[in-house]
Amino acid sequence: MIPFDFEYYRPDTMQEATDIFRQLESEGKTPVYYSGGTELISMARVGNVIFDAAIDIKNIPECRVLEYDQDNNLVLGSALTLSEITESNQFPLLGKTAGRIADHTMQCKITLGGNLASTIIYRETVLPLLTAESRAVVASHDGLREYPINEIFNQRLNLEKGSFLVKIVTNRGFAESPYFHIKKTKNEKIDYPLLTTAGIKVGGMLRIPFSGLCSYPFRSMQIENILNDTGSFEERADKIADTVSENILNDTSGSSEYRKFVLKNTIINVLETMKDV
Amino acid sequence: MIEDRPPLARKKVRYYGEPIALVVADSDFTAAKAVSLIQVEYKPLPVVNSPSQALEKDAPVLHEQMILYHLTSEDIYPELNTNICDRKKIRKGDVKQGFAASDIILDSTFTLPQSDHIAMETRAVHARIDADGTVFIKTSSQTPFSVRESISQTFNINLDKIIVEVPFVGGGFGGKAPVQLELLAYMASKAVGGKEVKMINSREQDIASSPCRMGLEATVKLGAAKNGMIQAVQITYLLDTGAYSDVGPRLIKAMIVDCTGPYNIPNVWCDALCVYTNHPYVTSFRGFSHASSAFCIERMMDKLAHALQMDPAEIRAKNALQPGNTSPTQVKITPSIFGNLTACIDKLKALINWDEGTMIEVGNGKVRAKGMACLWKTSNSPPNAVSGVLLTFNTDGSINLNCGCVECGPGMKTTAAQILSEKLKMDINRISVNMEVNTKYNPEHWKTVASMTTYMVGRAVLRAAEDVIQQLKNLAAAVLKCPPEDLEVANEQVSVRQDPSLFLQFKDLVHGYQYPNGNSVGGQILGRGSFIMGDLNLLDQETGAGKSGPYWTVGAQAVEIEYDRKDYTYRFVKAATVLDAGKVLNPKMAEGLVKGGMCMGLGLGSRESFSYDKDGKVLDTSLRTYKVMHFGETPQYLVEFVETPEIDAPYQARGIAEHGIIGIPAALANALSLAAQAELDELPLTPETIWRIKTGGCS
Repeated sequence: MIPFDFEYYRPDTMQEATDIFRQLESEGKTPVYYSGGTELISMARVGNVIFDAAIDIKNIPECRVLEYDQDNNLVLGSALTLSEITESNQFPLLGKTAGRIADHTMQCKITLGGNLASTIIYRETVLPLLTAESRAVVASHDGLREYPINEIFNQRLNLEKGSFLVKIVTNRGFAESPYFHIKKTKNEKIDYPLLTTAGIKVGGMLRIPFSGLCSYPFRSMQIENILNDTGSFEERADKIADTVSENILNDTSGSSEYRKFVLKNTIINVLETMKDV
Repeated sequence: MIEDRPPLARKKVRYYGEPIALVVADSDFTAAKAVSLIQVEYKPLPVVNSPSQALEKDAPVLHEQMILYHLTSEDIYPELNTNICDRKKIRKGDVKQGFAASDIILDSTFTLPQSDHIAMETRAVHARIDADGTVFIKTSSQTPFSVRESISQTFNINLDKIIVEVPFVGGGFGGKAPVQLELLAYMASKAVGGKEVKMINSREQDIASSPCRMGLEATVKLGAAKNGMIQAVQITYLLDTGAYSDVGPRLIKAMIVDCTGPYNIPNVWCDALCVYTNHPYVTSFRGFSHASSAFCIERMMDKLAHALQMDPAEIRAKNALQPGNTSPTQVKITPSIFGNLTACIDKLKALINWDEGTMIEVGNGKVRAKGMACLWKTSNSPPNAVSGVLLTFNTDGSINLNCGCVECGPGMKTTAAQILSEKLKMDINRISVNMEVNTKYNPEHWKTVASMTTYMVGRAVLRAAEDVIQQLKNLAAAVLKCPPEDLEVANEQVSVRQDPSLFLQFKDLVHGYQYPNGNSVGGQILGRGSFIMGDLNLLDQETGAGKSGPYWTVGAQAVEIEYDRKDYTYRFVKAATVLDAGKVLNPKMAEGLVKGGMCMGLGLGSRESFSYDKDGKVLDTSLRTYKVMHFGETPQYLVEFVETPEIDAPYQARGIAEHGIIGIPAALANALSLAAQAELDELPLTPETIWRIKTGGCS
């Protein structure tokens, strides 16, 4: 049970959605955008989040697209579920990443936008987007804007109040690049990551973002420079571990020292599996 | 046992999640709103965050008023002004001599965390008080009669004014044996003039507020001769009972009773302390402490085998208890009381292909390893534990079997019907068993716990069957004009043995026999059967001598894993169990029970645990972070049985409901210790744990 009352809206257009949001705000209410609901419902149930109104964006056609635009870019609506993305198989790395978030029942509910905007720190779907230099299309009351993902996603999705993510646009070449995905958990396959990396190889260079390593997902040029430098795999792994050492997460999923060990192993693993790709 | 827990915390809150206030409202929505308006100011007190910390010299004493607590059993020995609420001992033989006679002595310490039951159905209860003062409680409980007793004593209400109903229980695993929510629901109903009140734990409350599974710190010293024969063992158990004792004193009793494992150890010294901490309080959990105590002794067996370069299976078989030996509490071992452990080990070896080798390289830095553990368990039921059965007949000759045990998964009602159908030689489909339990109408069954239900209910069913057979024969004898002993009962008929064509059907007897002229005799046939445990004792305070349970169930288990040396990860390949079941009454049910037990055992071994912050606050209070086995990780389960008759048990059947869990954490740790070449003496065995033990925790 959710222990508070809230209004529910299901707009059919982007404009309607942002208008409702503005209207509710002007009435002194706290609206939230709502899509898959897995996080909002479970957190509302235990009192970790409270809102006066939920604006469900699943009925907005632009949020549900799964298509290629005229420039042959892959366009994924923010209200697509993780399982829809995985089953479409249009962005194999994103599909693989989505297929390892929570369990299948949840994947049929969790949406791309919901995962990216999650308050839970992992937001693993951003990893493929960071490596593929995707662009995020955001709706606000004055229309649509497009942002490079690495600008609008800095540790978390930074949306202006009242705006919402509509879709993600990805260059087809990047989406189809050779990739790697490694998710390490405390012990159980279905769990939050100790460390997840989901990267690609482009022009002979590896791109390697991380989730779970620090308290936010990120892609670091400094790390990628070391990764693509010369030196033995072990040396590169050590160097990378040193650069992030201070920010490594320490929690009940794993100590920072252990995460560091997992990081080094993972880097060596990536270098080995991708060396001849 | 020790009446130390108020239903709502008074003056002091002793654990994170302890109920402190109740809100009663017309809807759960309103109640939740009201709860959010309650402001509580806590004054922090010093925290006791582990059993060893609880024993430190200057440790805060959690229960200063222990001297005032009422003890419900004579065999509890609180140590006042300490955090030790009970201490139980085994003194058998002379350990000094035993260690002196040993060629090798091994010492180890073990740390096992608290964890939760995670029954799919969380605890739930309804309560109301009628105008005449009758209290109705409907609860998801394994112990309806204890609920009634507890409400009666706590609130000073006559037993006949309390009715407790239990529907099908959606999984208990021991977690629904204690009485907690029922007291609160009664108080809530009382506060609103007896109106019906419903309380259902959320998953988070079920984990944090309701009782959990024990934690343990243990030290074990084991001495053996070069040939592998164990000479002596010295054990200290510190049981983390949490903030309140609940069945903690019974748990330490269960540990000392079986502290040696199913092995013949002539010299035993064991101290088991039940220790208060600021953790959630503990209660029974499938295996009733045995998964913890078996972990310690079975790890020691592997260490011993390793030190002497012997086969772990061989060293277990060599030391297995044999007829003529005695248990730690000096009970004489017989085939009926104990069963046949050696046969279980042999069968297990074949089942898991032990002789192909316990460690096999599979390439790419991976290795397959097998670990073994033996188990035994008897019950710790009070000597006066009772079970009753009433039989009534329908006019068509079919039977209603009325018993007080709860159905919480193991198929007890089916077993009761099987036993009756076997005894009366009639179709089981003509026997109807009450599924729900109502303390007003069903005869008392002590508690549906301890893997003792088949034994207790079964014995009561047999007596009730004897009772109706006698009545049927007496009535039929009068009608057929022959002595009752010349008659036989089968297929709902009473027939003359010499001439089976002379018979009377149940339907013509069970509601009285009517002669052709209309005269009737006999009346309804009502069967009754009653059983009491009887010949058990309270254990001697100083030596532990005495009989705790009627018999043991023994077994051997193994786990095979594939371990990756590079990153300390592993996956389950197989888990196997051979139990001496005495007699398997229901093969599919038996197999399912044992598999379920193994699954839980793998969960305990690999992931299930509470972690706490420095203030003793449990950090894993939701299924986001508290992990249980997922179906997709299930290994191949192998189950077989040995059948050594238990001569007093119904059709020789031993209890097997809990046993599948007991040796699995130890077998897993033995397999992983072998694979990782490390001494893995703590749980759960996550890759990080193995990494830390292997490397000292430095990357």
